[in-house]
Amino acid sequence: MKAFLQGAWLGHPLHVALVHVPAGLWPAALAFDLLANAGVGGSSLPRAATFAIALGLVVALAAVAPGFADWVDIDHRKPASRLGLAHLSLNTLALLVFAAELRMRLGWPADVRRVPAEAVWLSVLGTILVAVAAKIGSRMVFDYGTSVARLSKDRWRRIAAEGGTRVDGGGDGA
Amino acid sequence: MSGAAPPARAVSPLQRLVQGAPLRQPLHVALVHFPIGLLTLGTLADVASRIADVPGIVRVAGWLLGFGLGAAGIAAVVGFVDWWDIRADHAAKRLGIYHLAANLSAVAAYAASALVRRPDLDAAATPGLALALSVAGFALLGAGGYLGGHLVYQEGIGVGRHRRATGTPADTLHGRERRAEGWADVAPREALGPGETLRVEVDGIVMAIADIDGRLYAFGEFCTHRFGPLSEGSFEGHEVTCPWHGSCFDVRTGEVVRGPAKAPVATYEVTARDGRILVRATGP
Repeated sequence: MKAFLQGAWLGHPLHVALVHVPAGLWPAALAFDLLANAGVGGSSLPRAATFAIALGLVVALAAVAPGFADWVDIDHRKPASRLGLAHLSLNTLALLVFAAELRMRLGWPADVRRVPAEAVWLSVLGTILVAVAAKIGSRMVFDYGTSVARLSKDRWRRIAAEGGTRVDGGGDGA
Repeated sequence: MSGAAPPARAVSPLQRLVQGAPLRQPLHVALVHFPIGLLTLGTLADVASRIADVPGIVRVAGWLLGFGLGAAGIAAVVGFVDWWDIRADHAAKRLGIYHLAANLSAVAAYAASALVRRPDLDAAATPGLALALSVAGFALLGAGGYLGGHLVYQEGIGVGRHRRATGTPADTLHGRERRAEGWADVAPREALGPGETLRVEVDGIVMAIADIDGRLYAFGEFCTHRFGPLSEGSFEGHEVTCPWHGSCFDVRTGEVVRGPAKAPVATYEVTARDGRILVRATGP
């Protein structure tokens, strides 16, 4: 189960593949609302924003369990472990903010051309939360190497052995 | 001996900016969230238009495709710079070409889908050809994204790169020309500047050679933890830090300064003689 959630069948982490959808769509929803309020696109952009928030929510929920499966493998003494908790907390808040906004938007008629300020502010808040959370997630990968070479370690061990490296000391962690 | 090609590259401030060094992550990876999210939603809207009666959805999908394509174009330019930077004999160099090809094909399919629907954006449902192109674009985007995931998580491309002050080796040099007493000639001395590294293979042994304050040090290329590339590591004094998981080694002795690695890396004899860099790969 853990291997499935970590994306062993996929060849790389499932969590990071999924999160592109909410992390891309939620800020895009804010951009669409701002463009709509600037008079662009008629009722199309507020509707696109509603759809973007909705799909973002569905995929974000799907990304929680795989993300948790990645996190449990991180050594708890390492900085990446605490970063993972901050990442989870901020993303949960972002998810709640956009869930509240979606509830509000589902009550609107289809031809809304101007987005009310309270919806825009919710999007601003949610976008800031998801941006900071995504930044923390990227720090885990690109600064601390979380999940990097986890599924390819046997291949790298072979390459290193062929290149004259002692490979008996290859450890766990990260 | 192959000292002809410039083995180490200078890295310009513009390149560091485009590659995302100030962000401490690859800029390309941050940007691609937007085309992936928008184009996925566009295809979903196209499919929904055929299943349910949603007035105006074809126009909404058209906007999503338009913005998604614009975002993809920006991400592509930045991604190309990242690809340029990958060592020529790295497996990821080829994988990166497939990644680019799949994503450019996705962009072409989505662009065609957008053009096909353009005459009638108020249609009740996305026309068959536009739908087919949109679905094909999504499949190609999935393949491109999958390969992009491989580049980072299997190949380690872009991981820890922002910590590196100098360019990374453009290719592996092969020390085939022999001098007396087992010394292999690998490159002209001027091929290696201060703070730079060479990636060198001698008798099958792959090593990194670093110039630290004008002195040369040769050590095993592969970190002993998950075998990350030490020739792409960052240097502080006589310590090299692996770009992947931060294992740190003393280049003079090969000893571990900081884990996760537990075993030392091998060190090799290296010297500069008659304007050439010579190494002796006597093994660990």
